[in-house]
Amino acid sequence: MLMAPVRYVRPDSVGDALEALEGEDGARVLAGGQSLVNALKLRAARVELLVDITRLAELSEISLEPDGTLVVGAAVTYVEVERSADVARALPLLQHIAAHLVDRQVRNRGTVGGNCCLNDPLSNLPPLFVAIGARFRIAGRDGLREVDADDFFTGPYQTAVRHGELLHSVVVPPLAPDTGLGYQSLQLGAESWALARAAVCLVGDPISSARVVLGCIGPRPLRQPDAEERLIGRRRADVDLQEVERATAVGIRAFGDVHASGKYRLAMAKTVAGRAVAQAIGTEGTA
Amino acid sequence: MNDDATVHVVHVTVNGEEHERTVPARQLLVHFLRDTLGLRGTHIGCDTGNCGACTVIVDGQAIKSCMVLAVQADGLEVETVESLAPRGGSLNPLQQAFHEHHALQCGYCTPGMLMSATAMLRDNPDLSSMPDEELRRSFKGNICRCTGYENIVVAVRAAAGAQEVTS
Repeated sequence: MLMAPVRYVRPDSVGDALEALEGEDGARVLAGGQSLVNALKLRAARVELLVDITRLAELSEISLEPDGTLVVGAAVTYVEVERSADVARALPLLQHIAAHLVDRQVRNRGTVGGNCCLNDPLSNLPPLFVAIGARFRIAGRDGLREVDADDFFTGPYQTAVRHGELLHSVVVPPLAPDTGLGYQSLQLGAESWALARAAVCLVGDPISSARVVLGCIGPRPLRQPDAEERLIGRRRADVDLQEVERATAVGIRAFGDVHASGKYRLAMAKTVAGRAVAQAIGTEGTA
Repeated sequence: MNDDATVHVVHVTVNGEEHERTVPARQLLVHFLRDTLGLRGTHIGCDTGNCGACTVIVDGQAIKSCMVLAVQADGLEVETVESLAPRGGSLNPLQQAFHEHHALQCGYCTPGMLMSATAMLRDNPDLSSMPDEELRRSFKGNICRCTGYENIVVAVRAAAGAQEVTS
């Protein structure tokens, strides 16, 4: 068999899942499995106990609260995001990203929580969630705690979810009415791996708040404070994209691989950041 | 700890027939179908979740059976390529369209293509308003090295024109 011997439990409640996770050092949450199962087949990950959360209803819900806060359960699949009227209303960009991830089969199984908890530098959702200031609700023995996206993604394949905890849901605060969003990737092929990715969230005109976040080039989604500084206070019409690009991806050592050198990734990071800012400036309203 | 760490009794309905089997936690659904149940129509292409040859339908959704554990299919309904036409019987309209339009050459990817197409046609029984680009997108998870995909697109459109594809 491809996989090493492993134990498996499918708890009936979040409480039982937490108990299983806490009681075993080598325990790991199994959600859609679209990355984890591959890692297990390659024996690249060592796991003693798989805790299957895919049938926990509490983690599989999408809700839109009266104040416009969108809550997406950790075990919600991409196809469920794609088909959700609540996501369409609150954050159409998330719906678009979910609908264009990898391929149909993966979208049927893969989950929002899996994408975030894997925190692969190439993952699609982490830069978006950092840009829009999402919060991550983590379930543990003492109940739920919330962590800002800025603090959730701690390193490559590492998050703020500790031993004995699991990601419960992602909380997307309502966007201000004059928010502009941008999300741009340079991909190897349509709906394929990206070499560079940028997510941008601008509020107001003149811009009162700006977040520029890069994916793919660092150990975690990287805020770009220098670029953000050059946006805040400007009228949207007066934004100098070249200036923003120059202030982006400075002082970073990006990794290279078979697809592109680190240097190329950095150059492309500037380009996609410029495009994402342009998109955010052009998309008034809810983007 | 034995070689398989834990084994589980699963009840899986495959092509309408319920099976009770004891499986190790580490067994993949594709190996359960092929080796445990002897349904060799589902092919293993890449083992890495890229090629889509092992695509089956689980509870109405096309998935790659090399990226799901057999134990995760417990209580669920699985459809494999064997469900499309009875053994020795006639081809269903989708298979017939693949045959007529030369939508395969070596045939290795075909079971996965057929199951992806079956799921897609259930969601979109009328393809007349679906642009080619979107139709092609729905097969992104299925790799074919022979056909260049052209005839697969033609066959799926032809099948959508025929009736009862989705049984």
